[in-house]
Amino acid sequence: MIMTENDHQKTAHKTVPSAADNSLHINQLSVLRGMVLVISNLSHRQSAGDICCLTGPNGAGKSTLLRTIAGRLPAAAGDITCAVPITYVGHTDGLSGAISGRENLAGWAKINGFPATENAIDAALSSFATNRFADLPARVLSRGQRRRLALARLALTPASSLWLLDEPNAGLDQESSRILDEFVQKHATAGGMVLAATHLDFAAAAQPRSLHLPGLVT
Amino acid sequence: MKPFFAQIERDLLIAWQNRQDLGVMLVFFVIIIALFPLAIGANATVLDPLGVPVIWIAALLAILAGFDRLFAQDVRDGWLDQIALSKLDLGWYALAKAISHWLTAGLPLLIMTPLMAMMLNIPPQQWPPLLIALLIGSMGLTLLGVIGAALAEGARRGTALMALLILPLAVPLLIFGTLASQNERGIISPHLMLLGAVFVLLLALAPLVAASALEIGETETGL
Repeated sequence: MIMTENDHQKTAHKTVPSAADNSLHINQLSVLRGMVLVISNLSHRQSAGDICCLTGPNGAGKSTLLRTIAGRLPAAAGDITCAVPITYVGHTDGLSGAISGRENLAGWAKINGFPATENAIDAALSSFATNRFADLPARVLSRGQRRRLALARLALTPASSLWLLDEPNAGLDQESSRILDEFVQKHATAGGMVLAATHLDFAAAAQPRSLHLPGLVT
Repeated sequence: MKPFFAQIERDLLIAWQNRQDLGVMLVFFVIIIALFPLAIGANATVLDPLGVPVIWIAALLAILAGFDRLFAQDVRDGWLDQIALSKLDLGWYALAKAISHWLTAGLPLLIMTPLMAMMLNIPPQQWPPLLIALLIGSMGLTLLGVIGAALAEGARRGTALMALLILPLAVPLLIFGTLASQNERGIISPHLMLLGAVFVLLLALAPLVAASALEIGETETGL
């Protein structure tokens, strides 16, 4: 159902459609969680350079939608096409508490085939001003510090990639939120896409589009 | 292949930071072995033939006891989400987990085994077949554990379930392993070859089974 560039590399029989422009197409998507229809008949198009804020009340299916696009949940109906690499920063930061933020980030870069040289990692770490605590084991860090380390991954992704951000600025201080906004705008200007679920102000200066999930009335 | 080795490197780094777990596992191994003679009594004619089986039972329990957290931590950390989007296929990921787990649990046990063999008065000419069989057996048990840990990931409270699922499947390894270890005419025996066959089968199947179990488990219970 869901085609990403990564899937394309992993399984040869899935082909990215010929109209593989750098865009995200969601076509009449429905997603079930348990026996509950969380997302029903959703269509959404986003092209290179678009920032989109996903809004809606708690339980409206924002995280579910992001995880479905990331390929972590199956779609009950409809399809999602995305030909660019996807980077997902969710509620769980994907950091192992036992090792340092730097080791976490370098490992992540390597399993994705992104540049993992010392310079690249240093630059990514400093983009969210994490250098001061990047060498401590991640378990001793605060929620916001861990979130900043998770967001530092974004600095390593290719320009065209789609960023799926789940409440990216929850727990961030003002300065880090500002850096994140700047980051997102720069990514969009370079031709990337951002889809972010958020309740807070997000990249307001770039006037992001908004995709509202109403939540289902049952 | 680079992402594959990066995953092993990451697991080894984490294992090094949690190295007290290794100590616990080794002490567990030694204690099980030490308890048998205490329970059976100090009768050399009874104890002598029990040396090899006791080492095998202890190794089996010690290796499988360490498996409950193999994938659980990665799921809780959100690392599995990152793997799913990465260039590392879930099957290779499971194999990387098996290799790093064997290096941090199976290999130390193997290094301890001569000491235990000495303690149990196993004659030195029996050590080579014992060690070779235990080498293959521990790798096979690790692969079985990977299957169990991946299946348990989908089921809530999976740990007890995992033991129930995996212990019966460990029977062929245990039978051929103990027979191969007690071979008196050199290392190579039919039992060792059968043990090797079980291991090769597990090597081919375990990563695939674990990968599909992880995929299903995640879609059913994920956030």
